[in-house]
Amino acid sequence: MSPRASFWLIILVLAAGTWAMRSIPIMLHGHVPNPPWLERLLKHVPVAALTALVVPGALYLKTDGILAFAPARAVAATVALFVALRTKNVLATLFVGMAVLWLGQWGLAAL
Amino acid sequence: MSRRKHSVLAGMKDIAPILVGVVPFGLVAGSAVVRAGFALPEVVGMSLIVCAGASQIVATTLFIDGAPILVVLGTALIVNARMFIYSASIAPVLSEASARLRPLLGHMLVDQNYVATMTQGRLRLDVSIVPYYVGAWLALAGVWQVSNVAGAVLGPLVPAAWGLDFSVPLVFLALLTPSLKGRTAVSVALVSGVAAAVLVPLLPMQTGLVAAIAAGMAYGAWRDRRTGEEPA
Repeated sequence: MSPRASFWLIILVLAAGTWAMRSIPIMLHGHVPNPPWLERLLKHVPVAALTALVVPGALYLKTDGILAFAPARAVAATVALFVALRTKNVLATLFVGMAVLWLGQWGLAAL
Repeated sequence: MSRRKHSVLAGMKDIAPILVGVVPFGLVAGSAVVRAGFALPEVVGMSLIVCAGASQIVATTLFIDGAPILVVLGTALIVNARMFIYSASIAPVLSEASARLRPLLGHMLVDQNYVATMTQGRLRLDVSIVPYYVGAWLALAGVWQVSNVAGAVLGPLVPAAWGLDFSVPLVFLALLTPSLKGRTAVSVALVSGVAAAVLVPLLPMQTGLVAAIAAGMAYGAWRDRRTGEEPA
């Protein structure tokens, strides 16, 4: 198979599989029983998922496929956490976090 | 203005700040496809029909590294396994949607739209949630497409040292903090956060991410059961 055909096969199968995973529970809702233990678990998905998405990117940097602790990111993320708690503003958190990261990288490089 | 139109616009407006974090992500995804040796049809095709950023980047990177197709697919699908959990979690919120519409709503389910709908739209009394969700996705998909194409064209010009990918966790962090109300939410975040910090570097193929989400869910459910709190 040519690389182009292989890549399109990946795109199509990935699209179909992803669609199935994200659609089936929405489609089945109301047609299958919804036990209380499941509801109790699902209630915590937003907080659990957001935290799990934030933490690795806030602590580690991936270089050549390997995750390594990145001090400048950890410091920038901590400062950003306080900005987020204080301002509840996405853009303020983003700009302060990026600014601290750049300052931190520059500071570490100058050491 | 009709309620439906108002809801579509409200979804677009609420997701707007989140989109700032989508742009660098799209640039990375689009430039990866070009690095793999392909051009705009593949960039547009992938971002349009897969429409799930992390898995696009993972699949393309593995393809560049010469991984077998089955490994590429298996890994990228595992990266998207969290969407199954999102889908089960958002299903009651979108339950007013017709059977015909639901398969389309599934395609629109990505991290950012899930977050906007669950942490903002769901709590608003002035919107109908299904058009809100569709509106948020339209804005998101538009920005996703444009930034993928921009990444394909400009990607090789943006140095990795700028750390633009750091904007993704920053935006999610800002979206997380308003939900950290009460001891249960804070402790669920601590459990997921510690689990993610430990498991993501240890476990292969992003399975650490799914395990960390599951750990937080299980801890929260166990805590609610112990304190006798009813599911919301």
